[in-house]
Amino acid sequence: MRAELVDTFPAAGAHRAAAAGPPGADRGTAAEVRLQSLTKVFRRGGRRTVAFSDVDLTIAAGEFVCLLGPSGCGKSTLLRVVAGMLRPDAGSVVVAGRTVTGPAADRGMLFQRPMLFPWLTARDNVLFGPRAQRSRGLDERSDAEMGADADAILDTVGLTEFAGAYPHELSGGMQHRAAFARAVITRPSVLLMDEPFGALDAITRLRMQQFLLAMWEKYRLTILFVTHDIDEAILLSDRVAMMAGKPPALTHVIDVPLARPRVADSVDAAAVLATKRHIRSVLTH
Amino acid sequence: MTTTSLDAREPDTALPARGDEVWRNERVDLAAERQARRRAGRHRLLTGAGGVAGLLVGWQLAAVLLDDPVILPSVVRTARTFAHYLTHNYPSQSPPLWEDLMISLRRILIGFVVGTGLGVSVGAAMFSSRTVRHLIDPVVEIVRPLPPLAFIPLFIVWFGIGELPKEVLIAFGVVPVMIVAALAALDDVPDDLQFAARTLGASRAYALWHVQIRAALPGIITGMRIALGGSWGSIVAAEMLAATSGIGFVISQAGNYLDTALVFSGIILIAVTELLLDTGLRALAARADPSRRKKDRV
Repeated sequence: MRAELVDTFPAAGAHRAAAAGPPGADRGTAAEVRLQSLTKVFRRGGRRTVAFSDVDLTIAAGEFVCLLGPSGCGKSTLLRVVAGMLRPDAGSVVVAGRTVTGPAADRGMLFQRPMLFPWLTARDNVLFGPRAQRSRGLDERSDAEMGADADAILDTVGLTEFAGAYPHELSGGMQHRAAFARAVITRPSVLLMDEPFGALDAITRLRMQQFLLAMWEKYRLTILFVTHDIDEAILLSDRVAMMAGKPPALTHVIDVPLARPRVADSVDAAAVLATKRHIRSVLTH
Repeated sequence: MTTTSLDAREPDTALPARGDEVWRNERVDLAAERQARRRAGRHRLLTGAGGVAGLLVGWQLAAVLLDDPVILPSVVRTARTFAHYLTHNYPSQSPPLWEDLMISLRRILIGFVVGTGLGVSVGAAMFSSRTVRHLIDPVVEIVRPLPPLAFIPLFIVWFGIGELPKEVLIAFGVVPVMIVAALAALDDVPDDLQFAARTLGASRAYALWHVQIRAALPGIITGMRIALGGSWGSIVAAEMLAATSGIGFVISQAGNYLDTALVFSGIILIAVTELLLDTGLRALAARADPSRRKKDRV
């Protein structure tokens, strides 16, 4: 089963043929994410803080959706509820028809800091997921098979020469790429990204956005991407879900009418401007 | 340097096929960095050795000026005494210096290993459960500052006059230090690191052991270094008061007979042994977290 999944990732040149998405077994297929009446309340000492309330959103399989909103509007909390790290107080998260009850490998997550394990090399970081799953009996591959898979993914993200390097020896952009490789090797159906480029300088951030677009074209995962940057949201996503208010809620979902594959230099500037104006008008409403 | 004008450039119409095509000019020279670190390590070693050599020269100078072998024996005399008693008995009925060191070391290591195991377990339990933490925290804070030595008479009453009371003494000093160190180290690990492990498919237990505790290891080892240093103080004092063997006993005997050269020898032996053990622990810490090598060596 595993050998087939490795082959479903198209070869370098084939990314241009806009694939409908990777075929094959349950793991590795992009999944639909359904948020239904999702509410989260924090109770600390006697105070009750509503993180967000009554969020309804359906993300189609393979869709790239950005969660846009100012700091403190609950979007990171929402992402963690979808990941299964936090339990909702009301409502549910359904991924590929199954309700989420806790964290699992089918919902990969990337954070603002790369969160690589500092005592492991880049390659061993990437192999962490498969090895952890093997110890639970969820993965039966041999060391050699896992190794080959890891090498292939490291090659895709461009870290082959640095496979033996430790995280502190890598630059910020490289660490994020390694974290991406680590998350993707477990073939998640959904990738949750919490402002992953927020801590990077503007230039590296541009490159990482290009990188993410290329990777999305290749792997066609469902992605839920949290950001407070309007330009980033427009560049990357198919739809922008906007969160705001007190208590925070999903106020609008805006379509981004830009063709794919999207390359930063050649996007339709007029469409970008129109979408941006639309978003701005919603924000200042 | 080439300059391009706005009109002359062709817009990029294709996404890169591979991640690294986005970074065509990026270069990190791993080999050069590692070589620079090794060079810095050598520099540190030589400078440290130079410092110790300077200390010895100062000592010899002071001894020669003072010219009193009881108050301050010279380096040469101390070295000769050291070499002699390392293998010869002092006094004639008791074992040589080397064996006394081994006796002390054995007491320390047993107490230390048991104490560390206990301390880290309790610390981990406190980390996992808020109730356990609130329960045990006040007890630790009361016991920790108490000098273990004050408990020697009690331990002798409880455990007799053999090896046990001394081993318990060491463990008694080690446990509170390790609880505090382990708990602090575990608290310091960013929550997201364990979350990341869970989203990669790790079970709760796997993430606790392979990520949380693994990440806390450098902090735990630092706690061990501190606990080990304290252990020497406890065992030597205990041996001076209530033992008939061990390096503390030898030192106190030598003091009684005004053989300060032997006293110095004993102290130096303790220092060297502690240095070796500490260096071993530091090497362990460096292996546990490669990024620390940067701070420690460079």
